[in-house]
Amino acid sequence: MTAAPGIPYNTAVVAGAVAVVGFAAGVVGCFGVLRRRALAGDAASHATLAGVVAAFLLTGRRDLPTLLAGAFVAAVASLGCLVLIRRCTRTRDDAATALVLSVSFGIGIAMLSGLSARGIPGAGGLEQFLLGHTAALTATDAVTLAAVSLAVVLVVWAGLKEATLVSFDPAFAAATGWPVAIIDYALVTLVAAMVVVGLPAAGAVLVTALVVIPPVAARQWTDRVPTMLLLAGTIGLVAAVGGVAASAAVPRLATGPTIVLVAAALFAVSFFCGPERGWFARRRARAGG
Amino acid sequence: MNAAAGMWGELSTMHAWAIATAAVVAAGCALVGTLLVVRRMSLLGDAISHAVLPGIAVAVLAGGRPGGLLVLVGAVAAALVTVLLVQVLRREGGLADDAGTGVVFTTLFALGVVIVTAAASRIDLDPGCILYGILELVPFDTVRVAGLEVPRAFLTGATVLVIVAAGLAATWKEQLFTAFDIDAARAVGLPVAVVTAGLLAATALVTVASFEAVGAILVVAMLVVPAATAELLARRLHTMAFVAMLLGVVAAVLGYLAAWRLNTSAAGMIAVVLGLQYAIAAVVAPDDGAIARLVARLALGWRVICEDTLALLWRADEADAVASTRAFRSPSEWTAALWLAARGRIVRDAGRWSLTAVGRAEAETVVRSHRLWEAWLGRHADLPLDHLHPPAEWIEHHLGAELRRRIEADVGGGESDPHGRSIPREP
Repeated sequence: MTAAPGIPYNTAVVAGAVAVVGFAAGVVGCFGVLRRRALAGDAASHATLAGVVAAFLLTGRRDLPTLLAGAFVAAVASLGCLVLIRRCTRTRDDAATALVLSVSFGIGIAMLSGLSARGIPGAGGLEQFLLGHTAALTATDAVTLAAVSLAVVLVVWAGLKEATLVSFDPAFAAATGWPVAIIDYALVTLVAAMVVVGLPAAGAVLVTALVVIPPVAARQWTDRVPTMLLLAGTIGLVAAVGGVAASAAVPRLATGPTIVLVAAALFAVSFFCGPERGWFARRRARAGG
Repeated sequence: MNAAAGMWGELSTMHAWAIATAAVVAAGCALVGTLLVVRRMSLLGDAISHAVLPGIAVAVLAGGRPGGLLVLVGAVAAALVTVLLVQVLRREGGLADDAGTGVVFTTLFALGVVIVTAAASRIDLDPGCILYGILELVPFDTVRVAGLEVPRAFLTGATVLVIVAAGLAATWKEQLFTAFDIDAARAVGLPVAVVTAGLLAATALVTVASFEAVGAILVVAMLVVPAATAELLARRLHTMAFVAMLLGVVAAVLGYLAAWRLNTSAAGMIAVVLGLQYAIAAVVAPDDGAIARLVARLALGWRVICEDTLALLWRADEADAVASTRAFRSPSEWTAALWLAARGRIVRDAGRWSLTAVGRAEAETVVRSHRLWEAWLGRHADLPLDHLHPPAEWIEHHLGAELRRRIEADVGGGESDPHGRSIPREP
């Protein structure tokens, strides 16, 4: 295989994999946004840090699958805490989200600082999960991430009808006998999975942008779910590749923030130029009407 | 005890200043956070705490000192831009608030990180410090005030706390009114937008004052968690604010000490202590805690079983059947029977149970409630006869004397229920 001149083989593989990850995150995020749970992923993403450190502490290994398995457990646990708080206390959803997000991140920071203060060998590098750092990815890891992302997209594709129904009219879905709660949990788990898969690229603090910004941007262009999914996926893909390229070109620039800024630029274009909901279209409609 | 004494003994001025800084910062955050939580604006606090970063970074690039006035202004400006952008996205783009917030704060935070990274050689801001602060280093950056070396962060935190507390105290009535009924507040002519803008400015101030000490994300813990905990413990808004501030200060002290003992990040441990406080409150809070709810549920369940047992015996009497010991089938009915016997509601005589005078009165109240409800349903709801029993079986445990009287008046005397059985008189 010949890579483009000047681009090492590893960088090319990583960029390709991150593209797939960005696509899948955009697709899955659509349901979070449609369901008005855009920030549930934020709680999960901040919790992943504690999961990564805990996985390293428990196994002593620092290969990516082990760390991400820990991150996934932490993400699901944080979502479980959210459900528990919603069911058992009178704390409202917004406070519960902020609470789980900040406390779980505090746990992660305390564990990470404790590790580095003790100079435990191999602990260095875990802080790359804070803001994302794709340069450290091996080709094998990257391919694994891409494979998981593809699997997530396939699950969404298989359950498209159910997910759409629950996203738009949960009351109708429940009345006609669909297991709304189970579909809901499945969707949230998929979002958590994509948050974890996106972690090496975007980092715990900003990975939530991967599942929020592309869907919100895509929503500006269309009212149809399949179109929105494809568009969100494409925007996520472009943002991910752009971020990886920019951070590879500029030394010391973390990948996560760059991905977010590319995605934000695409959102800004969508916000102004969307055919019906866009700024210009609305101005025109207002002037005409 | 010895370890604790040793710890306090070793607590040098450095630690005392760091703890004092954490405490004033936590108190200010908890005060503002109380209003944010009550007004369901917690996530806006989250967004602002992230979004002040580019404001701080630009101000530092422009020559401001961390903790200085220029940085404060930059942060407040960034916070107001955040809020403005979310509003523009909602009005002009039809974006739901959570989606708009998610877009704006991640973008601004990313922008801040990029600025800090790009200018790292020129400005004194470390990406790690942005995320979780360095409370431990706060005592080294001091200014001389009245002959005393005072950490700059403490001075900023204390000043902001005083300003915010004074501002909120002066407008407390308006804040309270807006928090609980924003439409009514608007209707009586309160400048709701100004009140809200004041709250947001206060949020920006406490956030930027805390930034150096605990970083962007753990500020969220200080803003939201003490307030959420206080909400479980207190009913009145000003009680809630005091409890939240107390919890914040306690967490600041305990978290710092724990971090020192465990040799880890103070900001992280403060967040952990705040989380523990919430978890404990969620379990033991007097009205809303898990234990209180469980006890209340069990007490209600037990009362229902006892009342059902009494009513069972009363109905058996009415049907002139012998309420033999076989009347009680389940273990819970047996337990209830023994309990009722011990309390003098029923007696057991030669293998059969019967009601005492007290027990009879209580049973009649239950049966009366049940049949009155059936009569009322029969009159007002278009239900078949065999559908009247289940709702009455549930509500019989919840009707008071006043309601029974009114139902009786409504159904016209209340001689008998729709099944033709007579309704007992009020005992």
